[in-house]
Amino acid sequence: MLLQLRRLRPLRTGVQQARSTSSCLFPDPSTTTSGSGLVLQSQSTDVFQNLALEDWIDAHVDLQRRAVLLLWRNRPAVVVGRHQNPWTECNLPAMRRAGVPLARRRSGGGTVYHDLGNLNLTFFASRKAYDRQRNLKVVTDALRRVRPELDVRATDRFDILLNGHYKISGTASRLSRKSSYHHCTLLHSADRAALSSLLRPSCPGIQSNATPSVPSPVANLTDHAPSLHWEELLEALAQQYNSEFGFEAAPRPVDPSDEALFPGVGSMEAALRSWEWTFGKTPKFRLDTRLELRDEQLGARCGAGLHVEVKNGLVESCRVDVPDDWLPPRLSGALGELLLGERFCPHRAAAALTALLRCESGQPHRRLQNLGEVLLAGMG
Amino acid sequence: MLSHSRCLTRNFGRSLSVIRQGNNAFARRATAVLSACHPVTLNNNVPYNPGSSVFQIQYFRTSVAYRDEVVTVKTPAFAESVTEGDVRWEKAVGDTVSEDEVVCEIETDKTSVQVPSPAAGVIEELLVPDGGKVEGGTPLFKLKKGAGAAKAPEAPKVEAPAVAAPPPPSAAPTPPPSSTVGPIPTTLPPVPPVPAHAMDTKPVSAIKPTAAPAAPAAHAEGGAKSARTESRVKMNRMRLRIAQRLKEAQNTCAMLTTFNEVDMSNITEMRKAYKDAFLKKHNIKLGFMSAFVKAAAHALVDQPAVNAVIDDTTKEIVYREYVDISVAVATPKGLVVPVIRNVEEMNFADIEKAINLLGEKARKNELAVEDMDGGTFTISNGGVFGSMFGTPIINPPQSAILGMHGIFDRPVAIGGKVEIRPMMYVALTYDHRLVDGREAVTFLRKIKSVVEDPRVLLLDM
Repeated sequence: MLLQLRRLRPLRTGVQQARSTSSCLFPDPSTTTSGSGLVLQSQSTDVFQNLALEDWIDAHVDLQRRAVLLLWRNRPAVVVGRHQNPWTECNLPAMRRAGVPLARRRSGGGTVYHDLGNLNLTFFASRKAYDRQRNLKVVTDALRRVRPELDVRATDRFDILLNGHYKISGTASRLSRKSSYHHCTLLHSADRAALSSLLRPSCPGIQSNATPSVPSPVANLTDHAPSLHWEELLEALAQQYNSEFGFEAAPRPVDPSDEALFPGVGSMEAALRSWEWTFGKTPKFRLDTRLELRDEQLGARCGAGLHVEVKNGLVESCRVDVPDDWLPPRLSGALGELLLGERFCPHRAAAALTALLRCESGQPHRRLQNLGEVLLAGMG
Repeated sequence: MLSHSRCLTRNFGRSLSVIRQGNNAFARRATAVLSACHPVTLNNNVPYNPGSSVFQIQYFRTSVAYRDEVVTVKTPAFAESVTEGDVRWEKAVGDTVSEDEVVCEIETDKTSVQVPSPAAGVIEELLVPDGGKVEGGTPLFKLKKGAGAAKAPEAPKVEAPAVAAPPPPSAAPTPPPSSTVGPIPTTLPPVPPVPAHAMDTKPVSAIKPTAAPAAPAAHAEGGAKSARTESRVKMNRMRLRIAQRLKEAQNTCAMLTTFNEVDMSNITEMRKAYKDAFLKKHNIKLGFMSAFVKAAAHALVDQPAVNAVIDDTTKEIVYREYVDISVAVATPKGLVVPVIRNVEEMNFADIEKAINLLGEKARKNELAVEDMDGGTFTISNGGVFGSMFGTPIINPPQSAILGMHGIFDRPVAIGGKVEIRPMMYVALTYDHRLVDGREAVTFLRKIKSVVEDPRVLLLDM
């Protein structure tokens, strides 16, 4: 097929890219045969690099005259939407143990689990040409062409359902003044067990007005069409994109960490990795929960209340209600005070707590230590 | 400044019409600048003196005529028949914004829509709470137009280079000048125009928030006079608490420091000889810390007073049978002091493994309270930063701390001759209420003897 032959061509344009100017990657639309469409395939599986590439394209490519489709996938990662609360959306301790990073994207929507079996597609267009249903039509038409027996349909909520019931794709988008991008996932062969175990709350008792996720039953394409290979899927999507929008673009591999091609992408990536972005951008929330305290040496138990308000990821107020006979009020008060202004993060809280523990010994020390541990567990 | 650039001459015409239409008071304000290359008749009240650099009117994009006007910005219409969304504020009341800078984002049905500011100004009022629902056309916020004081001198500076360099007609995807101030959400410094110099390399987290977010970029670009401003940051509680504890320790303990130097040649040689085999067998690297930790443990068992502590409340000396050594580690998140427990029972390999494990936990943010609590003795390594000599401060509630410093080649006298040996100064700060001078010096000498010749451990000398 013509497109398959074209796919070999990127080697030649790769030489052009060695000239190190991004103008080669995004030439003037009137001068190229591929017209004003571009299909890029990211060679990186790092979620931060890929998100930074999305930002770069949105900021630097003139989308009034051309449209871009970016195909990418990531090593296991959890991605929350722009205005979500990571503590309610995903299990942070489990992610830490499994070495799965957390990223916050710039578009809205809910939380997703990415891994190498999940394909991400980003459709870049001008604000005027923003049309999510048309983009999803590209995906459903492509799937129908390669596996006509699959029942795939896009819904009003811009999900794609398989057999009318299982969600195989979710959508999110971002509209700027002149440009827009719409990205969606596509579950090819993701790890469903990891997905369901990591996408649950870290700690109970959080109230916030952050955007909630709507959980749905999911399925992989390969569960219902085991012979569908990754490359076949990619090719079908690129081809359908071209035929839907009238382009003739061959998929081109790109490296999102290439500063020469994408000047400034490194600092975009650093910003996306920072704690201030990932956790600090959480809308204000409250945590109200009950802690079960125990004194192992005396076999005694006690209940306590924890009330924390967090703004921009930092503890704005923290109150621990412990009965006076369990622990001297000055200690529980000191603990609450110590966490003020600190990041809402068990690591920081642990360091703060040990500073307090150093002053105490015997029973207060033991009970304070227990209170601290339970409190940290309550923070996720 | 007399500038013949096109921007000023172009704006000059507009400024002239404003001055003619508007109020004469403008022309007299110090903020006005006229290009002297165009002799024109102005309003009678304005004396014009060509060639004088004193009388200059500079036209700002935010015209003086519009100062103090307050505009209400409404929610933009939503795409694709969406009716309502949630507002998430990026800016707060009193923040200065530039034209096109994102003030808030509206989340509608999985889409995040940016709402840029229509003009430069100061946010006067937010009309919807964070997370509140809005529909297309709902009033969102009030903006007081007019550049804030800090931004005024920068506006023409940023404008002039952006406009004077004509937008390149070539295929390069140059962003339009207006997008230099906000293609990316506002926590990042603005992207400088593509023709200008490279991005500043400071990590974003290191940049402190200031009143005028464009200030750092403008200073870097224009080489403007350095600002003599101060910024006040409230001390956080943990820092206050640690400060309090340190001062308490200083006030109660009779702290003084004794020094010695350690010849590192033998231990360096041992390490060189065994490091590959060690790595193969235990899967971790053999460092110097294990030698010092073990040496300290040996010496502590030998001198129980250094391992003890005075309990001020009960006026007792608490002697501890176990040796838990806290190792001070500087992480990007601050100083943490994880504890290695029961070091008296460990050998070098066990100690290295414990240190490695704690390091891993610290890296993954998994250090728990029990990892950092307690400890009978602390070792602090200033040598990693290149320190030569110094007095560590005791970490309460302990009685002593060992400070390791950098290893430097020094000429020393060995058997009557001068030789170059890798030497390290070590310092022991101790509480004299509990530990006598003789005990402290003996303790330190014991550490020295173990590190200089580890065979001492085998012979229990």
